[in-house]
Amino acid sequence: MGIKIIKREGQSFKDRIYLPAIFSGMWVTLKHFLRNLSDTSNIKTLCYPEEQPIDITSRYRGVHLLTKRDDGSVRCVACFMCATACPAECIFIEAKEREDGVDEKMPEIFTIDLLECVFCGGCVEACPCDAIRMDSGIFSFVAQKREDFLLTKDKLLSHESMKGTIC
Amino acid sequence: MNMISISIVIINVILALLFSLGAAPILVWIERRVAGFIQDRLGPNRCHIGGIRLGGLIQSFADMLKLVFKEDFQSSSIKQGFLFSLAPVLVFGSAFLTFMVMPFADDLKIGEQVFMMQGLPIDLGILWFLAFAGLSVYGIMLGGWASNNKYSLLGAIRAGAQVISYEAAMGLSLVSILITYGSIHLGDMVAYQGTLLFGFIPAWGIFLQPLAAIIFIVTAFAEANRTPFDIAEGESEIVGGFHTEYSAMRFGLFFVGEYVAMSASSALIVTLFFGGYHLPYLNTGVLKSNMPLVLSFIVIALPLVSYLFAKWIGKNNHWKEEGNIRNRESKILIQGILVINVGIIFLLGIFLREGLGEDGVNIATAVIQIATFAIKLLLMNFVFVWVRWTLPRFRYDQLQDLGWKVLMPLAIANILVTATIVVVMGV
Repeated sequence: MGIKIIKREGQSFKDRIYLPAIFSGMWVTLKHFLRNLSDTSNIKTLCYPEEQPIDITSRYRGVHLLTKRDDGSVRCVACFMCATACPAECIFIEAKEREDGVDEKMPEIFTIDLLECVFCGGCVEACPCDAIRMDSGIFSFVAQKREDFLLTKDKLLSHESMKGTIC
Repeated sequence: MNMISISIVIINVILALLFSLGAAPILVWIERRVAGFIQDRLGPNRCHIGGIRLGGLIQSFADMLKLVFKEDFQSSSIKQGFLFSLAPVLVFGSAFLTFMVMPFADDLKIGEQVFMMQGLPIDLGILWFLAFAGLSVYGIMLGGWASNNKYSLLGAIRAGAQVISYEAAMGLSLVSILITYGSIHLGDMVAYQGTLLFGFIPAWGIFLQPLAAIIFIVTAFAEANRTPFDIAEGESEIVGGFHTEYSAMRFGLFFVGEYVAMSASSALIVTLFFGGYHLPYLNTGVLKSNMPLVLSFIVIALPLVSYLFAKWIGKNNHWKEEGNIRNRESKILIQGILVINVGIIFLLGIFLREGLGEDGVNIATAVIQIATFAIKLLLMNFVFVWVRWTLPRFRYDQLQDLGWKVLMPLAIANILVTATIVVVMGV
């Protein structure tokens, strides 16, 4: 008559004396213990500073980099799209005229403040020339002073892309 | 008092200190490494002195050092400063004193003198243990109340509730054991367990009194404040429970006290139910009469065990970075094992060749029994750690249900059955 009787688990005598369940649980933990004790290479722990992670893909948003043209000059045309898109307002660009005829503009100063950056990837999305990327794979950045967290243009150009050369 | 009796007393006190206080860093190490292995991770393994890590044991000493040198902070809201300081001392002191009546070996006879091989040569046994084990909860309640902090007070209340739920069942389960062994002196109980049951099973407490063994082991977990009954601490619910306000060495005393209490509970479990210092089928008499055989067995077995251990070290003990100072460790350890092996076998060879004499046989028996006791103690401590990393915490009404509705009726029934059997059999 519409009444659904749900069978309660854990009411049998075996369940109510607890001990069989406790012993089976202890058997599980003992198996883990013995497996790891007999061969510690079974443990997947990464001993970090000595071992670096190998599973960082090119889609990982690490520290930024500025890409280069085939002739090694900066690809950025100082259009300020990234600085405009940046929600943390951590990109500081000063443009100058490009003299070598490859393009019209290039950045004089291109600085990213890593302490302000939220690593959202907005600048990469906004860039029309594929000039700024975050696929350097650098996940750890440390410094002694606040000023050292300001990444200059030279520093950004020196980071290598994980995808290799840009098409 | 001659030189021998003084030195035996000193050795006994040192052994009691080693098994309780000295065991604390080792137990912390075991706890952390076993927890790591059970959860498929490594646990502390970096701390080293000149490259020697001993599998992470050095970390315990580093932690102790840190606790000693930390600022001993006391909140200005604490009005009862004396009680606040007294609480950890009570917990530590009572846990430490419970260990003093555990027999490490059979009574040692040198010449005409007989020495009890325990920290204090008294035969109060179980009564002494119960008295001091019951005292430790006062430290917890005092500390929780004097902290003037609601979490600490909750922890203290929980500790009180826990004591009234388990201690009745614990005492009653011990009564049936007392009826079986007919003594409160732990040495007598262990001597009883050296005999054989039906001629082929060692008469260990776990075979004589399986129900009392289960009840006592469960309540011993509660008595030592260990998971699944660490509701007084309850770090996931009430911050740190009774020791929320404690820091530095005052916290350190609580911390060490917990491990000493665990070690003392393990020692009592081993003594009551797992034959104490007896090897199975080798009670003191048999051991003494077959001493050359036992020593030759050790001469054969020791290198085999050491070889397996050295192989394990070579396989598992290495550091991933080339040229790191920690990579020297395996070689040093294996050399150390080799030196110890050669030394022990050389010593035993001399004993076997020259013969030991009566006193020598007695001392060798005591040494073997102390080693047996230490190994059993370590295994029981491992069980405590193993259970901690397997079971979740009981809620405190569940513990009261368990204590009053399950364990206490079972313990009373066990007393009735035991008493009936003892009376009918007339033993």
